[in-house]
Amino acid sequence: MALKQPPSQTGPGDATVPAGPPGNVIAPAPPPAPREYAGVSPAPGVLRNIVLTAFLLYCLLPATWIIVAMTKDNGQLFSTFGLWFASPPHFLENLAGLVTYQNGIFVRWFGNSLVYALSISLGSTLICAMGGYAFSKYDFPAKGFLFNFILGTIMVPSTALVLPLFLMLNKIGLVNTMWGVILPSLVNPFGLYLMKVFWDSSFPNDLMEAARLEGAGEGQIFWRIGLPLMQTGLVTVALLCFVGAWNNFFLPLIVLSQDSLYPLTLGLNVWNSVSSAAGGKPVYNFIALGSMVSVLPLLIAFIVLGRYWRGGLTAGATKG
Amino acid sequence: MRQHRKTALLFLAPFLTVFVAFYLAPVCYAIYLSLFIRRRVGIGPAKEVFGGLANYFRAVQDADFLNGLKNMFMFGVVQVPIMLGLAVALALLLDQSRGLFMKVCRTVFFMPYGIPTAIGALIWGYLYSPNLSPFNQILSALHRGTIDFLSPALVLFSIANIVTWTWTGYNMITLFAALQNIPKELYEAARVDGATQWDIVRSIKIPLLMPTLKLLFIFSVIGTSQLFTEAFVLRPLGYVADNITPNLYLYLTAARDANYSYAGALAVLLALLIFVISGPFLRRIGSQ
Repeated sequence: MALKQPPSQTGPGDATVPAGPPGNVIAPAPPPAPREYAGVSPAPGVLRNIVLTAFLLYCLLPATWIIVAMTKDNGQLFSTFGLWFASPPHFLENLAGLVTYQNGIFVRWFGNSLVYALSISLGSTLICAMGGYAFSKYDFPAKGFLFNFILGTIMVPSTALVLPLFLMLNKIGLVNTMWGVILPSLVNPFGLYLMKVFWDSSFPNDLMEAARLEGAGEGQIFWRIGLPLMQTGLVTVALLCFVGAWNNFFLPLIVLSQDSLYPLTLGLNVWNSVSSAAGGKPVYNFIALGSMVSVLPLLIAFIVLGRYWRGGLTAGATKG
Repeated sequence: MRQHRKTALLFLAPFLTVFVAFYLAPVCYAIYLSLFIRRRVGIGPAKEVFGGLANYFRAVQDADFLNGLKNMFMFGVVQVPIMLGLAVALALLLDQSRGLFMKVCRTVFFMPYGIPTAIGALIWGYLYSPNLSPFNQILSALHRGTIDFLSPALVLFSIANIVTWTWTGYNMITLFAALQNIPKELYEAARVDGATQWDIVRSIKIPLLMPTLKLLFIFSVIGTSQLFTEAFVLRPLGYVADNITPNLYLYLTAARDANYSYAGALAVLLALLIFVISGPFLRRIGSQ
């Protein structure tokens, strides 16, 4: 049975929750608006709000620090209280410094991250959509075994993969190139799984048969009829790939040695290593502002496409 | 239908190509490499020679590797239950009522998951760092001395805190979704029978959460076994031992010591260990 399901069709996580009683179908309609359940509450309102607020502050603590830190210069970071603003503010100087420091390499990193994330998410989504289509709509030998085998590899730890991958890439000359980061990231077993489930539910087999009777070719059916029906699935998988690629750290760390090819995550950590090393020029103010900037695209994606994002993430639980 | 079989293969070809080239091949290569050992033959530099399972025998006796595994075991029995317990509690609280505050909580709790691990760990690193930490600024303002969160004694807890911060909300959202899927008629029926809210939580909600919880537990254990970025990012800021997690040790064995064959053996062992631990769980959940 399926461990995960795309939540846009059904509720997320319900793959693991027993279905309601069969009587559901004929049961009288539930009350129209969800209401608070009265009765003896296990956690009275006040206590509940205290707990929730405490956790809210905990979640927001790093964000608070970073928002304060990005308005300070390096001296103020060490000499003033970390969770409150200092005067004079240095936000604009930090911004100017961030984009010009070391010949504006930060801007380059930002661009690199965009290139990596966009190409990986587009490529991987297309590959997974095609593969998922094959598993959903066709029969071929060893289909079940192959599908389970591919899914099983989700458990292989990334380190087990990346180190030998580095040696292989080294032999074929892809180390220290953008392709060395992009090509291995196209492999996304979980994306394939999600796509298969989306194809199962979004593209009825009857429609496919009807198109065949009309004389449409197999490729035509996929591109012209199938893909347009898959909007939710495509956006979900593309978004998950984008976030995974944007956040990727380990693969670039191993594959890249030339700093002009770094993505943001790696670049900022190199600045941190240099700042913390003896004799290194501390640029913690740039790192703080840079961290904020590196999170912005994700925040925007989160706000604009939150529905897909939360859906896709709760559908699966492995980390990219 | 034969013709369709060929079409299926065409659709599958791009995925299979990258899968074989960048997934299967490296795994096989790691296994192959792990069978070699470096040995000095006569005069001259060390050479890679076939060593059978020598690397594996070395690995199971390697104190550094075992120390990493021990730390991960501690994570599994301390951090994972705390995180999941917190997630269950928060999901139950959020399930109790509606409103704007609840919606804000849900969104904000979930947000740390969206922050790149390398960036989240970096920010926490500054919150821990002796010279920058606002906690220590408060403590010294109160004349209570300072705490070095990145000292050898505390660093594992500091990493555990970063992981908890990142993942609690994610787990909470999944549990919350599962709670939302429980048919409300069950609550109505229980209330008719005179059940209190506590009874409902204890005998309906928690039991129905168990399958989701088990799945989250096993995914958390897999995540724990792969812990790397947090430890790696904190290294320049404090005293993070090379052997604090198996993955960091494995990385250093390869990247710093250039001992790829031994690193390969460690990687294979780690993957096997994860399979052994999580396989039975997943099969049981899968068969339900």
